Amino acid sequence: MSNPMETLMKKSLFAALLAVAVMSGEALAQAKPETLVKQRQSAMTLMGKYFGPMAGMAQGKIPYDAKIVQRNAGFLDNLSRMPWDGFSEGTKDTKSAAMAAIWSEPTKWGDAADRLQSEASKLYAVSRSGDEGAVKAQIGAVGKACGGCHESFRQKQ
Amino acid sequence: MRSPAAAGFFILALAFGAAAQDAKRGEYLSKAAGCLGCHTEEKKDAVPYAGGRALKTPFGTFYGPNLTPHKEAGLGAWSEADFVRAMREGRRRDGANLFPAFPYPSFTKMSDADLKDLWAYLRSLPANATPSKPHELGFLYRWRFLITIWKWFFFTPGPLAADAAKDAVLNRGAYLVQALGHCGECHTPRNFLGAPKKDRFLAGAKIGEATASNLTPTRLKKYGDGELKELLKTAMTEDGDVLAESMSEVVRNTTSQLTPPDLDAMVAYLRSLPALPDESK
Repeated sequence: MSNPMETLMKKSLFAALLAVAVMSGEALAQAKPETLVKQRQSAMTLMGKYFGPMAGMAQGKIPYDAKIVQRNAGFLDNLSRMPWDGFSEGTKDTKSAAMAAIWSEPTKWGDAADRLQSEASKLYAVSRSGDEGAVKAQIGAVGKACGGCHESFRQKQ
Repeated sequence: MRSPAAAGFFILALAFGAAAQDAKRGEYLSKAAGCLGCHTEEKKDAVPYAGGRALKTPFGTFYGPNLTPHKEAGLGAWSEADFVRAMREGRRRDGANLFPAFPYPSFTKMSDADLKDLWAYLRSLPANATPSKPHELGFLYRWRFLITIWKWFFFTPGPLAADAAKDAVLNRGAYLVQALGHCGECHTPRNFLGAPKKDRFLAGAKIGEATASNLTPTRLKKYGDGELKELLKTAMTEDGDVLAESMSEVVRNTTSQLTPPDLDAMVAYLRSLPALPDESK
């Protein structure tokens, strides 16, 4: 029978090794900063692709189509969760429109990202309810979440 | 045979008709001048023009006051002349200086007729009893009499004079941008006393953490007329990219509400400005 001290040490060693393994796994999976920037920009681009027509409908520029809204809201709901892990500290110096405030004000930044995700998932929910007025209002709320974040965290291009 | 009473009624009806017409024009002017933004609280279901929006500046926080015709809380006790003087000269009803956070250096350029119509519109709003919030200003900036000195340096009252060398469209555009739209309040950089730098008109400025874009051809040449007008109507580029919220709000309240000829004039005027380089970072 091994003594408890030894067991504890073995366990700690195992935990430490595991942590190293996980971390290096993360490090290995960690893409180059340029790649991360490209990927997060792609998520943003696609959000524009699926948000644009919905905003057009909310503004009465194009006819309202509940089917398209439902589909696009579903895409947007997923896309709105994708860009954020691409803003890792390591991408700070890579050329993009991202502003330094993203890393100097992580709480405010996190709130802005959360807001988009929650407004987008609300839009997905109301898009299935069929109430056109509520859907249009929620499209507006998503737009405000986009613009609210662009205000302080994206450089003018 | 017409009775004097009927004649009197006829004249009254005419007068009311004219007043309603003025208020209608005034409503359009209030949109072109973006009054709603600062004079409405920033929350859902806020009462339009009942005041309350906070404007944070390096000098302190200003709150847009209640503009509805309520006797105590709003402008109920004001006369048309009081209103015209506030817009033209930056004075309160009691004659004290208004802080130039209220963009009277722009609104002073409005025509007399437009000021009167705008007043007619404000008079037509439902009175609301929400009291105006007092401004929260830094110690040195509380004295309204100091504004007299500021005005002496930086403020030229009087309506915008038409530029005879330019056509009617460009003159209308100048009026929409300089007087009503007060675009320069955000898009022109300011000196340390908070006055816009005249030689840097609309060259873009830093406001807190955010930036207001350079509106001279240096930057606008990137957009075609169609694209630029869409941007001002929808707050969005055609690929679905959304403008920063402070400008999106201006689009919702103001630029998307302009008539097509006015939007054309605004864009034509911006295109005619001298191309200025961006502010150094």
